[in-house]
Amino acid sequence: MTSAIGMNELLAAALDAAMSSGASYADVRGVEIRAESLGVKGPAVESLERFDSLGFGVRALVDGAWGYACSAELDAAEAVSTARVAVEIARASATVMTAPIELVPEPVHRDSWMGPTEHDPFAVTLEDKLELLTSATAGMQVSPKIRTTRATMDLLSQTTWFVSSEGSSIDQSFVQSAAGIEAVAVDGSEVQQRSYPGSFRGHFASGGYEVIAEMDLVANAEQTAEEAVALLTAPLCPQTVTSVVLDGHQTMLQVHESVGHPTELDRVLGMEAAFAGTSFVGIPDLGSLRYGSEVVNINSDATISGGLGSYGYDDEGVAAQRVDLVKGGILVGFQTSRETAAKIGAQRSNGTMRAEGWENFPLIRMPNVNLLPGSGSFEDLLADVDDGIYMATNKSWSIDDKRLNFQFGCEVAWEIKHGKLRRMLKDPRYTGITPVFWGYCDAIAGPEEWKVWGTPNCGKGQPGQTMRVGHGTSPARFRNVSTGVSS
Amino acid sequence: MSSGEPPLSVEAARRAAQAVLDTPGADGVEVLVSASAAGVTRFANSQIIQNIARKEVRAYVRVAVGDRVASAGTNQLDAEHMGSAATRALEAVRATRGDADWPGFARPDKDGRAEPVGRWDAATAAASPARRAEAVSQILRASDSNNAAGIYETSSYAFGVFSSAGIDCFDAYTRCAIACLVDNGESTGWGDSSSHAMGEVDVEAAAHRAAEKAEASKSPHSAAPGTYEVVLEPAATGAIIEYLSYAGFGAKQVLEHESFLARHTGEEVGAPSVSILDDVWHPQSVGIGFDFEGVPRKRVAVIERGRATGPVSDLRTARQMGVEATGHGSGSNELGPFAANVVLEAGDKSLEELIGGVSRGFLVTRFHYVNILDRPATLLTGMTRDGTFAVTDGAITGAVHNFRFAQNVLSALASVQGVGRDLVSLAPEYGGFGSTVAPALHLGEFDFVSTTSH
Repeated sequence: MTSAIGMNELLAAALDAAMSSGASYADVRGVEIRAESLGVKGPAVESLERFDSLGFGVRALVDGAWGYACSAELDAAEAVSTARVAVEIARASATVMTAPIELVPEPVHRDSWMGPTEHDPFAVTLEDKLELLTSATAGMQVSPKIRTTRATMDLLSQTTWFVSSEGSSIDQSFVQSAAGIEAVAVDGSEVQQRSYPGSFRGHFASGGYEVIAEMDLVANAEQTAEEAVALLTAPLCPQTVTSVVLDGHQTMLQVHESVGHPTELDRVLGMEAAFAGTSFVGIPDLGSLRYGSEVVNINSDATISGGLGSYGYDDEGVAAQRVDLVKGGILVGFQTSRETAAKIGAQRSNGTMRAEGWENFPLIRMPNVNLLPGSGSFEDLLADVDDGIYMATNKSWSIDDKRLNFQFGCEVAWEIKHGKLRRMLKDPRYTGITPVFWGYCDAIAGPEEWKVWGTPNCGKGQPGQTMRVGHGTSPARFRNVSTGVSS
Repeated sequence: MSSGEPPLSVEAARRAAQAVLDTPGADGVEVLVSASAAGVTRFANSQIIQNIARKEVRAYVRVAVGDRVASAGTNQLDAEHMGSAATRALEAVRATRGDADWPGFARPDKDGRAEPVGRWDAATAAASPARRAEAVSQILRASDSNNAAGIYETSSYAFGVFSSAGIDCFDAYTRCAIACLVDNGESTGWGDSSSHAMGEVDVEAAAHRAAEKAEASKSPHSAAPGTYEVVLEPAATGAIIEYLSYAGFGAKQVLEHESFLARHTGEEVGAPSVSILDDVWHPQSVGIGFDFEGVPRKRVAVIERGRATGPVSDLRTARQMGVEATGHGSGSNELGPFAANVVLEAGDKSLEELIGGVSRGFLVTRFHYVNILDRPATLLTGMTRDGTFAVTDGAITGAVHNFRFAQNVLSALASVQGVGRDLVSLAPEYGGFGSTVAPALHLGEFDFVSTTSH
């Protein structure tokens, strides 16, 4: 473990070296990560892995162009050497430049920030964690048709130190915890899966072991497995156009892919064109594009508690903010950085630049992009559906390079008849065009149904970076949705 | 900035491992060491936007006591941090439970001694930021566009596995990759190239191809979704077989009944012209000669002349299946064995001949955001992008808007009408480990289920 003083001295040495080598601006970020991952399959421990990482990265602006270099060798000489490499890279970048990079101003911050944690998950014994997970997998053994049961737990502690040539000096730390269970049922060639509380390793949130305790994995094990078995004989989700209600987990994915990414200003400006793609949204659309119906209100908010995108400052030292992206169905904002904000004449970045670890250059990444709650309960959403489909728990996703044409799939669905859930349906999928789909959103459940979900695997950038992002959602209802689309 | 040497020497990797191979209280210890030095220059709007040098090392210490196993990792290779990792792994071992399927660590006398593949190019490893910037300048000049985007990458990687059971192997490779997208305001085009050696990557040809595709893609019309013949260019073929591999080439997926191989091994699943292997020894593959357990990486035919022949395995799944491990351990029991060097063997037709064989269909340059809809059924979805063209009676007749596909891959492979003779090495989409080698394909049936407005 490195003390904050030692890291601060290292960062100062790198910052001085970058500036004395010719940078007009530089920032240096040190990151220490402690991670633990447990996986249980049936009664057996499938994986028990721990990983610690510590290093720093230097971002230098020279002649209007960026350079970035990083190292895990933590001594003053390496700090100086790494900073000089960043400057050398920036000078090379400046040889292929059409317009120099400008940064919008940001106040100088000297601060410490710590995410709330009630119960340190690393202080819980491994024995207790494994006991919880194996109890959950045991609870899923409800039928001989259950072929595989899994329970996972992922814990992360991260501390970041940030200094900039403008005088900012920030340290912040947070803990994130996650767990989930999964049952796979098999009958002949039919394979079906159910997960709880969400798919792809469960539910992720900022916070300590209290996040995991609240899930009550064991109490939910039996129903999870029973639903997997029931899916084996459920009829196929029909190919039709109908009313669809999405649960909070799938609404999270819907927000992530069709609102979060298209409103990242780097995508809008073409900076991700060759890899992740661009956006159907353009700068002139701000304030006028009808993104969805009047009930659709979406913000980007790093200031809420409990999200994977909850922080005090982003990775270029901009204070966390809450920004409206879609208000009353109209596009009103983008997620920005200091560089991209300058390109559209904004006065300030709204603080969404983050990097995976110390190894990577910060990019615009969603903090917590939230669909704001409407009113009423989940049952109220169903009540106004005479004939429709309720889909739950994301299973698959794909969307085009402009974030228009999407096809998403869920683990399970139920028919809605006369306002009530009826038969279970397997392999539910739906497709749509982003603003058309959101235009048919006519109801969003209220605050009592609203929850901040987390997705830990958002990919972007080259080299690829995986970011943890949050989404507050409640179940939502959409009309005229094409379902059951498949080959 | 770089001497052209691997990002970590074999001596340094072995020294780090040796610090913990005799950890008291452990019955056995295995250390996987990896290191990389990545130089990636990204450009967009025809200027460099991000430019990085990323060097990192990692060591994973796996400790066994009887049949209990756990691992801990660090990115600091000094003896203190390595010892701390071993201690944390040992703590975890004591907390964990016995593993009835634990196969033990690899042993050279039983599992063989690995040889390096040696895909190393010193010039690529030594490429400076200035050299990468010059390459981007070349790309931009060749693209003749004020709106080109992409990357130029020169990176090097090293891997070593060392164990108390006598495993001692090390290999390193380099990679040079270019990707170029040209946007002319109305349409986009794509070109790419990848090899372990920068001298084999023709940046200008890739940029020209992107510009030509963008020009040819102007004034696209909408075509009705449906089932059509298609010609997939190598990048599109590569995406399909990468996801097929991810969906079911591993023995763990077979054992858990989630792979198509669980039900179809021994059966005809593709046309006789289709052979898909995992083969790091193919001259266009980029990778290392052993897996993350130190087992020599074997050439494995997964589909041979249309017949499903079997999965790739690691020590655990090989033991469970009663077969010899093929050397495809991923380092993760949860993921299981993984085919990192998929090769679809070449046929005998040029791209022009493949297009010439199409009665009514489409030419696809590449796909975007492919994902699995149904793993056992090999059902994938994704979008076309950067150049989709209508083909009638063997001739390209114009550009079309992009399609979404939803396709059972085995059905597509069963409908293969022709296989291209030119193989292309493709870098992993997310910059990961390994490579894919693919030709163009003429498929008799491919399901496009919707379209979009661009």
